[in-house]
Amino acid sequence: MGQAAVAWQRVLRHLGHNGELYADEVAPAWRSLVRPASELKPAADDFVLYHHGIASPLASRLLHLPCRKGLVFHNVTPARFYEGTRLAGPLIAGRAQLAAMADFVDVSIGVSQFNARELEVAGHRHVKVVPLFVEPERFVGACADGRMNSRLSGAGRPRVVSVSRVVPHKRMEDLIALHEELRRIAPRAELWVVGGYAPGNAAFKALQRRADAVGGVTFLGRVSHAELVAAYRSADVFVSMSEHEGFGVPLVEAMAADLPVIAFGAAAVPETMGGRGIVFDEKHFAALAELVHLVSHDAELRSTLIEGQRQRVAELSFEATRDALRDALPVSVGEGTTTRTRRRVALVVQRYGEHITGGAESLARQVVQHLAPHADVEVLTTCAVDHLTWANELPAGTSRDGDLTVHRYPVRRPRRMREFNRLSDALFNKPLDFVTETHWLAEQGPFAPGLFDAISARAADFDAFLFFTYLYAPTAWGVPMVAKKAIVIPTAHDEAPLAFGALKDVFECPRVLLTNTPEEAELIASRFPKVVRQREVGVGIEPLEGQPQRFREHFGLTTPYLLYVGRMEAGKGVDELLRRHQALVRQFHDAPALVLAGSGDLKPTGTRVIYVGRIDEEAKWDALTGALAVVVPSRYESLSLLTLEAFAVGTPVIGNAASDVVRGQLERSGAGLPFVLEDDASFGEAVRRVGDERDMLSAAGKKFAKKYRWDAVVRAYLEEIDLIRRQS
Amino acid sequence: MKLMGKDITTAKVMAFVGDRLAARGLFAPAPSDLTPEGVAARVDPLSYNVQALEENADATRGLPLETHRDGLAGRAVVLAKQLFRKAGQVFINEALGRQGVFNGHVRDSYAQLSAEVIKLRQRVAELEQQKVVAAPPVPLPAPVLAKPLPPPPPAPKQPVAAKAPAKAAPVAKKPTRPVPAPPSAPRPPPRNSRRGK
Repeated sequence: MGQAAVAWQRVLRHLGHNGELYADEVAPAWRSLVRPASELKPAADDFVLYHHGIASPLASRLLHLPCRKGLVFHNVTPARFYEGTRLAGPLIAGRAQLAAMADFVDVSIGVSQFNARELEVAGHRHVKVVPLFVEPERFVGACADGRMNSRLSGAGRPRVVSVSRVVPHKRMEDLIALHEELRRIAPRAELWVVGGYAPGNAAFKALQRRADAVGGVTFLGRVSHAELVAAYRSADVFVSMSEHEGFGVPLVEAMAADLPVIAFGAAAVPETMGGRGIVFDEKHFAALAELVHLVSHDAELRSTLIEGQRQRVAELSFEATRDALRDALPVSVGEGTTTRTRRRVALVVQRYGEHITGGAESLARQVVQHLAPHADVEVLTTCAVDHLTWANELPAGTSRDGDLTVHRYPVRRPRRMREFNRLSDALFNKPLDFVTETHWLAEQGPFAPGLFDAISARAADFDAFLFFTYLYAPTAWGVPMVAKKAIVIPTAHDEAPLAFGALKDVFECPRVLLTNTPEEAELIASRFPKVVRQREVGVGIEPLEGQPQRFREHFGLTTPYLLYVGRMEAGKGVDELLRRHQALVRQFHDAPALVLAGSGDLKPTGTRVIYVGRIDEEAKWDALTGALAVVVPSRYESLSLLTLEAFAVGTPVIGNAASDVVRGQLERSGAGLPFVLEDDASFGEAVRRVGDERDMLSAAGKKFAKKYRWDAVVRAYLEEIDLIRRQS
Repeated sequence: MKLMGKDITTAKVMAFVGDRLAARGLFAPAPSDLTPEGVAARVDPLSYNVQALEENADATRGLPLETHRDGLAGRAVVLAKQLFRKAGQVFINEALGRQGVFNGHVRDSYAQLSAEVIKLRQRVAELEQQKVVAAPPVPLPAPVLAKPLPPPPPAPKQPVAAKAPAKAAPVAKKPTRPVPAPPSAPRPPPRNSRRGK
């Protein structure tokens, strides 16, 4: 149900609704994504959608909530499977609660017709069906875990897989009985059971003894999504013996993985199968074994079944669920149309302000300042300054930044770096899982509830929403809420989160992506095949008249110098740059000095290293103009502004060759030299060549930078905004 | 046994399966009709809760002894739990005496309130029914001809609803399990029972 809740939240965002998840019990590690139900204090016009299953104190609380209410029913397992156990009581109580809620909810949603009928029998009147969805692209071979693939590749055939918890109504003993019959006609047959079980449980031990006696049975237990895909993709047939299913998500997942499905037609199973695969009504194990054998070996039959199942998966799509939910909900929000003559634009960005360090944030501010003469622009942002902690350092409320109105909303909780790093380590090194990715995004933040409320509530106020940077929660969760008006400036580069399925809405549902370089657009298209239209826009450069002597005198510089301007962080490659420079200094007595400007965790020191801290715009242009060359050591760039600024004043650039974007900028301009960040010789050679070829590089740089003009950038933004206005 | 599936010829598949079974000297399954599972019956919450409160009001009575372990270890655990309960029952009774009294009050209060709810629902249903029966006739469209309409029929001496009182609609369906019907009138709190003190 947790997975379903995250999926429903996503669907609701696509309908323009901003909401949060609440649960009766929430482990501390999940508090960024799910809040304890005790904190649920809805207002009268709020809408609470409650997922009901087994008896829960939340059902009684729901009756008394002073707001509009809805119920999602995934079914309750009949108590007859659990007679004599402590579970039987809560199962019956769950059904009693279901009936008790009938008169207190505005809409009741069954995830299948079967569940909808049970709702009606329980007394619910406004009953709707909203089926669950499965996204087939999450079950393709590329999503499968390599190690699990290798582990299962040597197994005998036919290979049967079944996915469910080992609990009484799933009838694992019937699966083993079928497997026993199958082994009579195919002695190397394998049965894989995927799903949680209690190893010490008496019933499970009995089941395992039986399985050991038959042979060829493996209880794979709980697995990651990638391992699950590997199990589906390695098997020949999916079999379900379950005697009660309110929907049966694994049936559809198996279909999405192109695995023929054979299932006992219990409860909602025939409906979920939709006539595809094979449904049977009697557990004649010998006959079923022959059927499994046939489906495993008859290529034509398999092909026909798989083709039909693909159609069923297409019917149970995200779009079908979204549309059904839109029809079912008694509340709606509209993005609205406009008849205004002057454009109204919202900028959504995680941090905003004159003193905010960060390329994307700086770009966002420059863009809206240039748009201000042509549109009424409002900034929706947080109170944070520090992108690591998201501490609320700026006052909440509305303020002005020149012609711009800025609305700041407080971040609810600071980033917990330990939890964030733990999740990052887990996700960056192995295949991914949608819920865990969503959890990572919640830890990444910044989560400012007021900001999301504003996006949802003010959707009709603006012609367009500009979202800057794909990587943060305001963009990832804000874009779906106003997808038809969303213009995303992803500033993406090659890093692990760019492969997250939880971020795909950013790239697949807005109106347009405005990229900075061709390399960025190419990278996005390679990760998200269904990406929306992309347009390369970039930025404008307006160089100030630099006075290099002023900078030299201020900091006592008498020799040629290399310049780095940016965040002082290891992630930017600053520590490696210092090592390369110190090696150069040791080797050559006339090696240029290295001047570093900016703030951050690192405090650079070394021979002929001059750290000047944070400098203002005037000093920056002075420094750029007087440098022998600018050094860009960062690997992760969507566009190196520093490179363009250096070109604009005729200063060559030495850039990290590992960054496709920086290398592309240097190659297209002919105004700089790439180097290998980890190699002393490569760095030394680049410095030497810059000294030799500076005049030629300088001329090429100035010529290249002339293309980056704000009037062209503003024209591109206005064209996209006007396109949305016309199409609204 | 019967198969369902748009993408297969079920008769052909079953014939294949039958032939394979016959070749092994086994009988093929007889054809049957696929009967979809019916939905679960409604569990009346008011009755269920009265019953559940009644069953669980005595806090000194333990839940069924259970263990997830099997074999000797499982039996040992159950035995240990039994011994603990026997040895500690007198202390359990002492410690949970007031809880039993409280639970009794909760049970009785709930029974009284739920009885009131049932009575009120019945009354609402009766009134709704009367409203439907006594509703005024649908007005005729405005006359378009100058010709006067015939005089209206005389009004009935008594309201229609009074002549044929509406039958009260059933309030709750039959619960799935036999449960004691809630008391029709408020029950006075027991004065001398252990629980009611």
